[in-house]
Amino acid sequence: MPTGDAPPLGTNIEGEEPDVEPTVETDEATYTDDAELERTIGLSGGLAIGIGTMIGAGIFVFPGLAAGQAGPAAAGSFALGGVVALLVALPTSELATAMPKSGGGYYFISRGLGTLPGAVVGLSLWFGLVFATAFYLVGFGYYAIDTLAVLGIALGGQYVVPIALVFGAGFTLLNVTGTENAAKLQNGVVALLLSILAVVLLWGVLNAVGLVGQPSTPERFMPFGPFPVLTTAALVFTSYLGFAQVATVAGEMKRPGRNLPLAMTGSVLVVGTLYVVTIFVATSAFESATLASLGETAMVDVGRHYLGGAGAVAIVVGGLLATMSSANASILSTSRAIYAVSKDALLPRWASRINLKYGTPHVALGLAGGPVLVLVATGRVEVLAEVASFLHLVLYGLMCVALVVLRRDEPDWYDPDFRTPGYPVVPVLGAIASFALIGFMRPLSQAIGLGIMLVTAGWYAYYARDVSLRGAL
Amino acid sequence: MTRVVVPVAVLENEAVSFGLMNLLGTMDVTVLGYHVLPEQTPPDQARLQYEERANEALADITEEFREAGGAADYRLVFTGDRAKTVRRVADEVDARAFAITGATGTVDRLLVSLSGDVAADRILEFVIELVGDREIGVTLLRVADDEETTTLADAQARLADAGIDARTVLAEEASPLDALLAAVPDHDAIVMGEQAPSLQSFLLGDVTDRVAAGSVGPVLVVRQPPSEQG
Repeated sequence: MPTGDAPPLGTNIEGEEPDVEPTVETDEATYTDDAELERTIGLSGGLAIGIGTMIGAGIFVFPGLAAGQAGPAAAGSFALGGVVALLVALPTSELATAMPKSGGGYYFISRGLGTLPGAVVGLSLWFGLVFATAFYLVGFGYYAIDTLAVLGIALGGQYVVPIALVFGAGFTLLNVTGTENAAKLQNGVVALLLSILAVVLLWGVLNAVGLVGQPSTPERFMPFGPFPVLTTAALVFTSYLGFAQVATVAGEMKRPGRNLPLAMTGSVLVVGTLYVVTIFVATSAFESATLASLGETAMVDVGRHYLGGAGAVAIVVGGLLATMSSANASILSTSRAIYAVSKDALLPRWASRINLKYGTPHVALGLAGGPVLVLVATGRVEVLAEVASFLHLVLYGLMCVALVVLRRDEPDWYDPDFRTPGYPVVPVLGAIASFALIGFMRPLSQAIGLGIMLVTAGWYAYYARDVSLRGAL
Repeated sequence: MTRVVVPVAVLENEAVSFGLMNLLGTMDVTVLGYHVLPEQTPPDQARLQYEERANEALADITEEFREAGGAADYRLVFTGDRAKTVRRVADEVDARAFAITGATGTVDRLLVSLSGDVAADRILEFVIELVGDREIGVTLLRVADDEETTTLADAQARLADAGIDARTVLAEEASPLDALLAAVPDHDAIVMGEQAPSLQSFLLGDVTDRVAAGSVGPVLVVRQPPSEQG
């Protein structure tokens, strides 16, 4: 909202000032002084971004790994992750309706808590998304190998990383040169995926509860005790990184006051339910040791177990689509994350340049895709997933903190359309749960995550110490 | 005065022909400079980079419209959906019609399509105001169908009352679009009504866009009354 005497914003080391303009927001557009920005993404588009980003990992990559760690109780790990995601999604919805701008979580924290936390979160989110994208791409590589296997072309596991690299570079290139129809394609892909899953999972559930087919595998619910349920929840939380990506397009959502909360909480509820059912079906088909040995593509064998060859094909196709859609959506979010910090002078302004030929942000897309390829080359699925979760969880925790801080001061400009039910319990629990999940990760992931945060803090101190963003709307 | 929105792809150097500017001299004009972005690009990011250049170009175009006669202003929109933007801005400025720019010299004769389910009254009212007291001839076109064909004669009489010389053509073609395009030669600009979206327009694109593509000159699309819009 326009304020008469805006405080000075400061400049970065290159003398660039954050680009902050007074705006008027309506349901259909954002009005700045000299231009208007059309809102063009509807509720279904928002849900497709949320679900499309999340669904790849939870269903098609994690079941085998998770069941191997926690047994059938991995369903509890997914449920726990879903509850944490929901505790964060509600405060995020409130912040997004108060600040319906592109930039998402970074924007809320830099405005609510100040430049240092904003810079750490904004730059860490860039890397967090890069880790997530690399993780999805490696998952995609596993499904590509399995697809070829179904087609009768047997390739060894050593081709997973090369395939992921080729497609990672391909997606980046497609996004630089691509047309505007990708969004419709994404909606279609998500709809197709949900249909495939509904059929396979429904059949699996009918089997598992003994209505059709042979009775399920009897196994103790928590063969490894309760602690692995928590560590597994930390691992599989990567499956829930996506609802907050909806907030990165908050500036482009139609009727943001209604659609943002619905898209964020809705996508968490949809994928959370699917995840829990998937684990139930998977652990009913095989013992956890078997699932663990099947690894990333265990769901293919689960599909074959219940529905024969058709089930395997359905899961393979679904897995390809899902990991592809997650990777692609994450590359797009990364580019937006880079733009948000560059606009605020925390990165050089050239990082958000767009080219007139394709109208795409080629620099930011390159800064997304390049590091992804380096990480894909490591091929370490679990570490990639955990570091991605680590960096996102810091963001999530701080968003909850930002909500509490903003609610306590209630500055004039703070006027959300959606207010978190159960305040202050929900955001406080959300913050505690987010930070607590970090504690259950393996030390290597924690060290990498912390290292990245320290580097970003150092960058802030070097590059943008004098920039002041708190309350700068 | 009646207002017309003229969308211009301002960063793609779309030009507004001199003929169209003069034709709209009797109208208030809102020049809608827009730039369509792919989904990879937040509109705000494009604004940051192109706003200044686009506004300069728009100010020039708007000044030319003013010199041609009517009051004119401009807006600049970065969008992912051109049709939605045109609709929204037309609503906000309460425009009676929007234009699809095209090349034409001085406009001597308008082709006005009354085929199909369009608000003929609104179209005629618009044409009368557009022509004003200028020497611009009008051809009224309608596809022959089961409906009463007296509409054309009524319409001709109404235009004659306003001092406009109108010819009528009752086309034999089955498709209103083909009929319209067949009648285009000898005309400098087209006036037609906005039609409700149909399955065909979903598959092939808006009728108005296809008319614009099939004829070279500008097309003025008279909007449905607000209450009838979907």
